[in-house]
Amino acid sequence: MQSCHTEDHLTLYGHRFTSRLLLGTARYESPRQLLDATLAAEPALLTVSLRRQAAAGQTFWDLLRKAGRPLLPNTAGCLTAQDAVTTACMARELFETSLIKLEVIGDDANLQPDPFGLIEAATELVKLGFHVLPYCTEDWVVCKRLLDCGCEALMPWAAPIGTGQGPRNPAGLRELRKRIPDVPLIVDAGLGLPSHACQVMEWGFDGVLLNTAVSRASDPIRMAKAFADSVRAGRGAFLAVPMVAQELAVPSTPEFGRPFAPDSVVMASGSLMSEFVKS
Amino acid sequence: MFVIVNGHELLVPDQQTLRELLSLLSPTAPFAVAHNEEFVSQANYGERRICPGDRIDVVSPMAGG
Repeated sequence: MQSCHTEDHLTLYGHRFTSRLLLGTARYESPRQLLDATLAAEPALLTVSLRRQAAAGQTFWDLLRKAGRPLLPNTAGCLTAQDAVTTACMARELFETSLIKLEVIGDDANLQPDPFGLIEAATELVKLGFHVLPYCTEDWVVCKRLLDCGCEALMPWAAPIGTGQGPRNPAGLRELRKRIPDVPLIVDAGLGLPSHACQVMEWGFDGVLLNTAVSRASDPIRMAKAFADSVRAGRGAFLAVPMVAQELAVPSTPEFGRPFAPDSVVMASGSLMSEFVKS
Repeated sequence: MFVIVNGHELLVPDQQTLRELLSLLSPTAPFAVAHNEEFVSQANYGERRICPGDRIDVVSPMAGG
C-alpha cells in the first residue's frame, strides 16, 4: 500500500499552503513572463516590495491581482531597524497582510543580514502584531534570539542573494534544522538549481524562497516548473525517510541461488519461488 | 513652503495637513505614506500637520524577491 501525503501543508502563522515554494517577482523580462512563471510554479506566496511611487506602480499592482497568489511583502533594501519597521507598517496597510519578510541588510557586498538590526526590528514588529519571517543566516544564536523575540518562522540563507551558489554551509543548515525541529524553516536566497532546492527539502526544511534562479534562467517558465517539481520531490523524500548510507556495498540482487557459484544451494524443483516468498 | 516628496523638493501652500498635501499630489492608488520616516495610516492623514522641510515618502507596490 502506498503512503499518500495529501494533507502535507506548509503552515506559517496559521496560514496553510499546499505549495512549499515561495517565489519572487523581480528581474523578469516582462510582466507576461512573470505571470507565466507564477502559473508554472504555483507558489504559496509571491514576494513583493515597496518603492517610491513611479509610473509602473499601478501596472504592477494589476499584474499581482491577475496572478491571484497570496503576497509576502518584504523590507528589501532597509539598512536600519527603524527603516524596516516603517516599511513593514506601510506594507501591511497597502497589501492588507500582517506577514512580512523582514530584511535588514548589514553589508552591501554580500547583502548579508545585520543580525543586530534584524533582532531589534523583529522585536518591535512582533509587538506591533506582525507575522515576521526574518531573512537571516544559519547562525544558531541569532536564530535563537529571533525565536525568543516571537518569530514563529525563520528564513536562513543558502548563500548571498542572487548568487545561485546553492547551500554554502550545508553542515550549518542541517545543524540548524536539527536544533529547531518544530519551527518552519524556509531556505531563502542563494539557490541556483532545482537540485539545491531538492537537497534542502530532503534535509527537512519546510520550504524555499527564490527569485533570480527562475527569473534569470533562459527559460523562466520551464525553470519555475522545475523548481516546483524539485521542491515536491525533496519534500517527498524527507517524508519517506531516506535509507541510511552504508560504508560498504550491499548487493541489491539476492545472492541466494546465484548460478555458477561454487556454494550455490541446489533447490528442489519449484522451490525457489516459494523460498523467495517466505523471505 | 518647501517639502521633500520622494526625495524631490516641492513648493506647496503653507499650513497643510497630509491629507491636503496628498490631494494636491494625487498619487496613484494603491499607495502608503511615511512622514519624516514615520508611517502614517490613512486614518491619520487629516490630523498630520506638514511643516517646512518635512520629508514625505509615497510608496507603491513593486517587484521584489
